[in-house]
Amino acid sequence: MAISRGDIEHLVSDERGELDRRIFSDDEIFELEMERIFGKAWLFLCHESQIPAQGDFFESVMGRDNVLVVRQKDGSVRAFINSCTHRGNAVCRAEEGNARSFLCTYHGWSYGIDGTLKGVPGYKTFYDGQLDKSELGLRHIARLDTYHGFVFGSHDASAPALVDYLGPTGRLGLDLIAARGDMEVIPGIQKFVVDCNWKVTVDNVFDWYHPQVSHASATMVDATGRDRHQGRHRTLDMAGVDMESGESLAATVSGISATDFDQVVLLGEFGHGIGGPTTSSTGAVEFDDSWRRTERAQTLLGPVGVSVGGHPNIFPTAWVTMAPSQISLRIPRSATSTEIWWFSFVDAALSPEQKAFQARIATRIFGPSGLLEQDDGENWVQVTMQSRGAASRGIKHTMSMGIGRGAVIHEAGLHRIEGTTSEHGQRWMYRAWREWMTAETWDELREATVPGDVL
Amino acid sequence: MSGLDDRVAAMLRQHEVEQFLYHEAALLDAHEYAAWLDLFSDDTHYFMPIRRTVSHKDADREFTRPGQVAYFDDPKALLRVRVDKLLTGRSWSEDPPSRTRRLITNVRVLADNGAELEIASNFHLYRTRLKSEEDSWIGSRRDVLRRHDDSFLIARREIRLEQTVILSRNLSNFF
Repeated sequence: MAISRGDIEHLVSDERGELDRRIFSDDEIFELEMERIFGKAWLFLCHESQIPAQGDFFESVMGRDNVLVVRQKDGSVRAFINSCTHRGNAVCRAEEGNARSFLCTYHGWSYGIDGTLKGVPGYKTFYDGQLDKSELGLRHIARLDTYHGFVFGSHDASAPALVDYLGPTGRLGLDLIAARGDMEVIPGIQKFVVDCNWKVTVDNVFDWYHPQVSHASATMVDATGRDRHQGRHRTLDMAGVDMESGESLAATVSGISATDFDQVVLLGEFGHGIGGPTTSSTGAVEFDDSWRRTERAQTLLGPVGVSVGGHPNIFPTAWVTMAPSQISLRIPRSATSTEIWWFSFVDAALSPEQKAFQARIATRIFGPSGLLEQDDGENWVQVTMQSRGAASRGIKHTMSMGIGRGAVIHEAGLHRIEGTTSEHGQRWMYRAWREWMTAETWDELREATVPGDVL
Repeated sequence: MSGLDDRVAAMLRQHEVEQFLYHEAALLDAHEYAAWLDLFSDDTHYFMPIRRTVSHKDADREFTRPGQVAYFDDPKALLRVRVDKLLTGRSWSEDPPSRTRRLITNVRVLADNGAELEIASNFHLYRTRLKSEEDSWIGSRRDVLRRHDDSFLIARREIRLEQTVILSRNLSNFF
């Protein structure tokens, strides 16, 4: 049975702070997401620093299309669908590397690094030269653009320009990495699979309610080293929160990262958002934020952005973190499976020792072995699995924290809500999801995702 | 020294190394993390690089190196943090505990300078969690075992998985 746009309207209620759980497991909804979100949006592919030399390539993903991002002879970047125009075989089976050409290992069609079809075995003998090679190059993705070295692609030729798509909120999210220096990707993209719906991983970006519980063990041992570094010791109102043993969850916890600190949530057009502590809040996550006082940072980030310390998400799936600088890309594989890729950034001007230090922090905190993230996957899988039964599917997701109490301040092109921990960011993301799934045009989508005065 | 004595000494050494590695695996399978940690030297380095699918000609780029991003790049202090985390009673990815079984095979002594031995081994770590979740990791290890009292300390370990994309929600276990 086909899901109508009217049906989708009812799946998300930002007025009541409720979600219909079918959005986390329904295959038909997933197919619509592939078409209406991943078939249109600007998607983060990689960073230019990963492919510095002619012929360098990195394979990324747009929806279910594998895409080769390739450095050209003239220094530009192009991206093609990794699919031979003859029979569809992959023309490159490595994740990254350097190529002089791309060879299809099925029948031998070969392509230049610019995607043009160069060689066809038997071109004269079998085809009598009757094959228009100029029409059979690798399919370019519809749109490719970069912002401060971050490479994005879109399948939709009619998409707005990348810079407009990002808007002030999306740009700020990326600037929070770019403003730190001449940023480059440290070699090594962590990749792992979590059997959960992709949206569960994305709404978690704005979720500052979970760290004190999900990451209780990590914070108890000061996994990030931050509490020791800053002499912090916090506890939160945990009245009545008991474990199976009857022991209070909070009673034996010291140094737990309670999240009742000053936060700011930014709401952006097309569903971009940023949520989390300000840099002056007791919950600030950066070890060293002196980079924010540089002229480069002040200029790029602006008066509001310079104190934003939370988690940006470039809609739909690129999460930016700042301690250390990383992008976590969430790649939907099916309604109930998501691949997570971690890109770690560092200032190219740092010494090898300083870069190695940043790499070790990245390894320590996030990724499948990261002391924080290893406990996230456990929750996300269960959220997905325990919400798809005939009965459990009918229970609404509750997302009402702070509802109706978020006064939106419009300043410097940004829309922000100040306060403490809330679910404004998540509600904004799901509202935008609903609009993406129902809007007929880009204009309609943009208009429907301009924040009002209260959330 | 006769050739026979050398060969007997090599067999004894092989036996000691294997028994040490089996003991270590048994500690992990029994969740005896504190005892396991004691098997490592204070200057140890526990390293699992990222592995990438690359063409034959790019083979030197298959594994990341120390200084780049990895899955584990731990000095002893960080291994201790990981162990302490598991012992908090709030490490949800391991509570209820995973059931694990480690099969250690193909143990070879590659070098022995008297103080330290370089050891190659293969492993199969099988994990089940909760009702029906199943993970399986096969890989190889290179250890530096340092002679210590009547046994060894692990002074370095490099773990190489036979997966590029990690096909699991996490790596909350030791290898």
